[in-house]
Order: sequence, then C-alpha cells, then structure tokens
Amino acid sequence: MAYEEVKVRKPLGLILLPFFSIFCFFGAWELIVRLGIVPATMLAAPSAVGNLFVEKLTNPNPDGATILVHAWVSMQEAFLGYLLALGIGLPLGLFMGWFGVVRGIARPIFELIRPIPPIAWIPLTVFWFGIGLWGKVFIIWLGGVVPCVINAFVGVRMTNPTLIQMARTYGASDWQIFKTLCVPSALPMVFGALQIALASCWTNLVAAELLAADQGLGYLITMGRRLALPDMVVLGMVSVGVMGALIGMVIDQVEKRLLAGIRR
Amino acid sequence: MNPAASAPVKIDVRGLTKRFGDLLVLDNISFQVARGEFLAIVGPTGCGKTTFLNCLSKLIPTSEGDIFIDGRVADPRVHNISFVFQEPTCLPWRTVRENVAYGMELKRFPAEKIRERVDTMLGLVGLSETQHLYPNQVSASMVQRITVARAFAVDPDLLLMDEPYGQLDVKLRYYLEDELVKLWQTLKATVIFVTHNIEEAVYVAERILVLSNKPTRIKAEVKVDLPRPRNLIDPAFVAIRKEVTELIRWW
Ligand SMILES: Nc1ncnc2c1ncn2[C@@H]1O[C@H](COP(=O)(O)OP(=O)(O)O)[C@@H](O)[C@H]1O
Ligand SMILES: [Mg+2]
Repeated sequence: MAYEEVKVRKPLGLILLPFFSIFCFFGAWELIVRLGIVPATMLAAPSAVGNLFVEKLTNPNPDGATILVHAWVSMQEAFLGYLLALGIGLPLGLFMGWFGVVRGIARPIFELIRPIPPIAWIPLTVFWFGIGLWGKVFIIWLGGVVPCVINAFVGVRMTNPTLIQMARTYGASDWQIFKTLCVPSALPMVFGALQIALASCWTNLVAAELLAADQGLGYLITMGRRLALPDMVVLGMVSVGVMGALIGMVIDQVEKRLLAGIRR
Repeated sequence: MNPAASAPVKIDVRGLTKRFGDLLVLDNISFQVARGEFLAIVGPTGCGKTTFLNCLSKLIPTSEGDIFIDGRVADPRVHNISFVFQEPTCLPWRTVRENVAYGMELKRFPAEKIRERVDTMLGLVGLSETQHLYPNQVSASMVQRITVARAFAVDPDLLLMDEPYGQLDVKLRYYLEDELVKLWQTLKATVIFVTHNIEEAVYVAERILVLSNKPTRIKAEVKVDLPRPRNLIDPAFVAIRKEVTELIRWW
C-alpha cells in the first residue's frame, strides 16, 4: 500500500529566487569595487577572482601550486582528521554514554579540553608533531572529535529506559544491552555527528594551515596576505566555502541514505 | 494462601515489603503460585502493582522479604523471567521476527533453536505473514502480540504481565485475552497477570489476588473455577466479577 506523494507545486518565482539572490549579491559586490566605494587593494571584485581562478587552474605561481593541488592537499588533511575524529570520537562517546567507568575517567578530561579552541593548540602541536602533515591533521582532528563524542554520548543517554529494563528482565549483560540497545538507539545522533564533525573539521582547516604549510587552501589565503594580493585571499576563501558546501551536500545525501536504512 | 495442593509450588513470595523513603508501598506480602498457574492480581490504580512486579523481576530491590523460584532466590541471570510491560517495548530497528527472537538471543539460545521457536511463536500469535515488517508498520495490537510472543518464546519460569492490554480498545482486548489463554494452555507457563480491569482478571485467571490501597496488602483471594472459554454473561462469571468488585470497593 503505497501512499501517493503529495506534490506541492512551487511557483516559478520561488524556484528562481535563490539564483536571483546570488546574482544580486555578486552584482552588488562587483559594483562596490568597480565604483571605488571600496578600493581594489582592500577587496577583489568577483570578476578579478574569477580571472585568477582560471589562471590558477594551470599556473602554480606565485604561491607554488595550482588551485587544484591546493584543494586536493586540503581535502586530504581534512579527511584524515575527520576519519580519525570519527574513529576515536564515536566509540569513546558511545562507551562514555553507557559504561560508568569510562564516563568517570574520560568525562572530566573531556570537559576540560572541550572549551579550548583548536587554534590554541598550534604551539604545542609544533612541539609534538613538527610542521608536517600530522600536525595539521591533529588540529583538524581536535575540531572534529568534540562533536563526535558529544553526539554519540547523548545518543546513548537517550536510550529508552523501559527497553533497558526489558532487556534486564531477560538477564541481559551490560555489554549485551550496550550492543543491542544503546548503539542502535544512538545511531540517528551518530549520523548527525557525521555532518557536524565534517563542518567542524573543514572550519579548522585554515587554522591548521597556519602551521607553516606550503600547500593547501589555507596556505593560499596566507600567501595572498603576505603578497598583498586581495584577489588571492578571496579566491582561497571562496574555494574553502564552495568546497565545504559541496562536501556538506554529499554527506547530507549519505546521511539520508543511512537513516533511511535504519528507519524504514 | 496456598494454591491447589496438587501442583508443586513454583513461586514463593515471602514477606515482600517495599518502601520508597518513608512511603510504605508494599506491606509484608506473602503468597505462592503453583507451577503452570495463571494468577491475576487486581488492585486500584497507584496501589503498587507495577512496583510489585518490578520487585518480583528484580528490577528494583525489595526493602524486606524475597522471592523464590523453585526454592532459589529469583535471579534474572539464572531463571527465565519474562516481563510484558504496560508500554510497548518492541525494538523499532528490528523486524517482527527479530523482535520475537530478542529474548532468546540475550539468553544465548542456539541459533537453530531460536529459528524453530520463533517460527512456532509467530504461528501461534498469527504474525507469520508480517514477520519481516517493522513494528511501526503493524497495528498496536500486533505490537503487543510481538512482546507476548517474545515473552513466551524463552519458555519462562515466570511470566509477568503489567496491564499489557490496558491501552487497547475493548474488542481487540477480548481477542488478545483469548489468545493469551490459548498460549498459556499450549506452553504451560506460570503467569502473574496484573490489571485494574476486574472483568479481564476474571476472564483469564484461575485465581485472583485482590490488593488493598496503600500500604498494600493482599486483601482477599478469589478462585475462578469456571470452564473455558468463559462467557462474560454467564451468571457464575458475573457473580465472581461482582464479588471482586465488592472486595475492591470495601476497605
Ligand atoms: N521510584 C519511585 N519512587 C518513589 N515512589 C514511587 C516510585 N515508584 C512508584 N512509587 C509510588 O508507589 C506507588 C505505586 O506505584 P505503581 O506501582 O506504579 O502503582 P500501580 O502500578 O498499581 O498503578 C505510587 O504511589 C507511586 O507514587
Ligand atoms: Mg502500573
């Protein structure tokens, strides 16, 4: 028995509105620079950024790499940090949610570390990891691991207590309850963490690349500042923004698929 | 308060007392249940029926007294205790079939035995057709049948039921009560069935314990020696129903 989906017809105006909004935004930005309201040394016009983007597709100068290489390097760092954040944060949060001993040990430390912004870790990171890939991955990881722990923890804590009682009357062990009740109950929150943690990792990317980097989108921004090239700064920012939005859309789809799989 | 002398004692409750702080809820309750007996417990709402079952199943500790099953102190890790809760306790991420198997999985029954038992149980409660659906795809009465099937599947020493049909409409309830009696007759479990619905108690049980208001004691014991299937308008049925009603009203 399939229900027919209710189709709501969107007026054409509403469909076009987002495009109109984007067009006006860039149009106004272009005008502000063209008319000299803001001097070109302080803000690059979209057309200048576009030109630079096309040029940077093939030209590694003056910062040493093409835009695609920068983007690729940033992606690698971000995803390494992200995967490690999932791999460590989710199990830790799940265990903290159910096992009192783990909660007792990990929670105070976690609560102390949580308010420290990842960027504050940069000096220590340099001492520990030097300035290579793993230092950057560590900073990114710090940003991603916090939402993973919190979401997994909260997900487990939301397990219906009556279900736990039910399992107890069947003589279930703590581990059985964790495995068969707490983890499945936490899954929606865990999937929510996929999205939040990635956003958090990506946001920390620029901070991580403040560590002496020689490639990456954050590095592009830093170089633009050093060389006093506003179009390069803006190109770096826009690239971070666009790629973050694209990755977010992909993860959103993945999350929907996964949720559909368990919710049916 | 001894059950029929013929059957051996299965459950022995001795001096069960439960306090929440200063609030005395259960006051020195003692009774026995015979093997394979269907015992109903009726009492006014808030008198401590759920608390009583929670103590029996060891979900909460007793203040004094204890429960013995086959002469040993009751322990969910040792005895097969099943509990059908007032609220539905199906796992939404498991199919009907997987839900029925859940209790046996927790008790680490061998896979082959689980498959067999689940097939039997699904047939007995008429869920074979819907076994691959999820709980949110079946009706409320089916959801409660899943939990009943899961409870019987582990071949319980003691099956506790806390107003399992309280939230269903009357017609469905008669139907499920008949089914429950059939399951009990087929599988020969020892059942303690709690309800505030007197008619329901007289319909399903062999014996009824009537509880008083708080602090709760056993006020009376009523034998229901009627043939099955029982008839709600049979004068003997009505007489027992009235007797129990009077007992609850007078205190
Ligand atoms: N955890 C608890 N703490 C304090 N009081 C409780 C607790 N659980 C139950 N009670 C009290 O015990 C009494 C009996 O509750 P309950 O067993 O749920 O009654 P019934 O199931 O018969 O309706 C109520 O008065 C309730 O306030
Ligand atoms: Mg109750």
